[in-house]
Amino acid sequence: MFLIYSLTYLTSKNYPSSSQEYRVLRALYSSIAGAVLAITGCILQSSFRNPLVDHHILGIGSGALFFTYVTVLIYGYNPSMVTLIAALGGLTSLALTVLIAEKISGSDIAYVLAGISVTSLFSGLATFTMYYVQVKYPYASVLMTGSFILSREEQLPYTLIPLALVSIGYPLLSKRLNTLMLGDENATQLGVNPRLTRLLSAVIAGLSSSIIVSLFGLIGFIGLISPHIARFLVKTSDNRLVIPVSASIGMTLLYATDLFSRTVMAPMWGEVPAGSIVSLFGAPFFIALLISRFMGRRT
Amino acid sequence: MISIRSLRVVYKPQGIEALREITLELPVNNVTCIIGPNASGKTTLLKAIAGMLSYEGAIYIDGREVRSNIRYLRKILSYAGNMGSSVDYLGARVIDILLTSRYPVAKGFSDTEEDVEEVHRVSKALGIEHLLYRKISELSSGELQKVVLASALVKNPRILLLDEPDTHLDVAGKSWLSKYLEELSRSLTIVISTHDAVFACHTCNYFVVLSSGRVLYSGWREELIQNKEYVERAYGISFINVEVNGRPILVPLYES
Repeated sequence: MFLIYSLTYLTSKNYPSSSQEYRVLRALYSSIAGAVLAITGCILQSSFRNPLVDHHILGIGSGALFFTYVTVLIYGYNPSMVTLIAALGGLTSLALTVLIAEKISGSDIAYVLAGISVTSLFSGLATFTMYYVQVKYPYASVLMTGSFILSREEQLPYTLIPLALVSIGYPLLSKRLNTLMLGDENATQLGVNPRLTRLLSAVIAGLSSSIIVSLFGLIGFIGLISPHIARFLVKTSDNRLVIPVSASIGMTLLYATDLFSRTVMAPMWGEVPAGSIVSLFGAPFFIALLISRFMGRRT
Repeated sequence: MISIRSLRVVYKPQGIEALREITLELPVNNVTCIIGPNASGKTTLLKAIAGMLSYEGAIYIDGREVRSNIRYLRKILSYAGNMGSSVDYLGARVIDILLTSRYPVAKGFSDTEEDVEEVHRVSKALGIEHLLYRKISELSSGELQKVVLASALVKNPRILLLDEPDTHLDVAGKSWLSKYLEELSRSLTIVISTHDAVFACHTCNYFVVLSSGRVLYSGWREELIQNKEYVERAYGISFINVEVNGRPILVPLYES
């Protein structure tokens, strides 16, 4: 509803002032980003059968960011080029994480460890290149923490691509992802190819989250916590239900965070990027999740 | 009818030959038991029949070759092996697992009334209706075993392949399962593998004895009990023949 409202509002072109336009755009972008990241979190968690992952933890985020910077460095800020190369970069870093994790043991913790190493590699590289990029593109540092401060109208089509991707992915993947939870062997027995499903999930989730990162920067934990809250609320693991519910949770969380940052925080300390506020409550959640995983394992 | 012609299965990376020269005819509407020691190829044989592995030779189910009719077979054949520990991760409930297990026969995106009814019918028959809304991670291993059996039954198959369905069940559970499989076999072709000769003799009419990937013996129960040296050779220990309720049973003799 909100999406439709704001889209019609924007296309009608009779808004009173540009600051109002900016506010609507910003609300729209933060909501779309929240929903997309939450859905990619769901898809990644179910396809890797691992409750500890999202686009950020698997290294997609920092990979996409690094390649965004590299593209800006070479071509300047060319939105379509940035989107394309960041998407490929995100997929590359995801592939790297999967390769390392499978080399270690393929366990859920192995994926977290491999993801952390790939993330540190690419965020190191990204930080390094950022200083050069800033000369060409002064807003580069904003992407580091994830913020909607730079919401512009020309970003709209690029924001709709990931939304379209996950919207196609939802009917296509939900039931298949449900069978994957029974284990690869049982999924095969039910007529689902687990490898193909995992590949398709990784491509859809990787592409859409990378594009979001190339536009608005690194926003961690939304993709991790939204599916968990959704599963807790609807008391099921059925992706047909979990995906839309976690999309609305991610949307609400990120919109609320951004609203908080620009209304409450801005007058006091200046605007704090939404991404860092999300980390503030997302990180403890992740720690709690890790602890409960290990406690559960001992019994 | 399940006919197997010179089946050979090799596990690729290590090149281990798990099954060779298997030629069998398994009877319809009966419980067939595959017995044999660990690593004799029981699970591999079941998986090959279920079309879950690549193999040489041929397997025909109702005259159709398994590999070329895999889509059709997914609808009429169920394989239930080990559920593994991977299931509980995302808080799945029993009903989620059972509805998902109807994947090959379920139509459309949402669950239909038929899907839900079928799940309730099967769980009622297995006495697990009270567990439907519990999380998989909260179940005992015996309860989980029944859920695994239910997940194989919800798509209403004509052929049921069960890999060690009696593990994790207590004696009362085994006795119940034995009776239940016998009832099911009136309209279903069932093939199971087990280590428990007592359970097998109570439950199954037809036997296949495997040893190191080859068939040592295949035949009806009465013939097998008269030729118990095949079972003894497969396991390398002695068995005695005991009559229980008018039914001959093979009981292993532990070394003393």
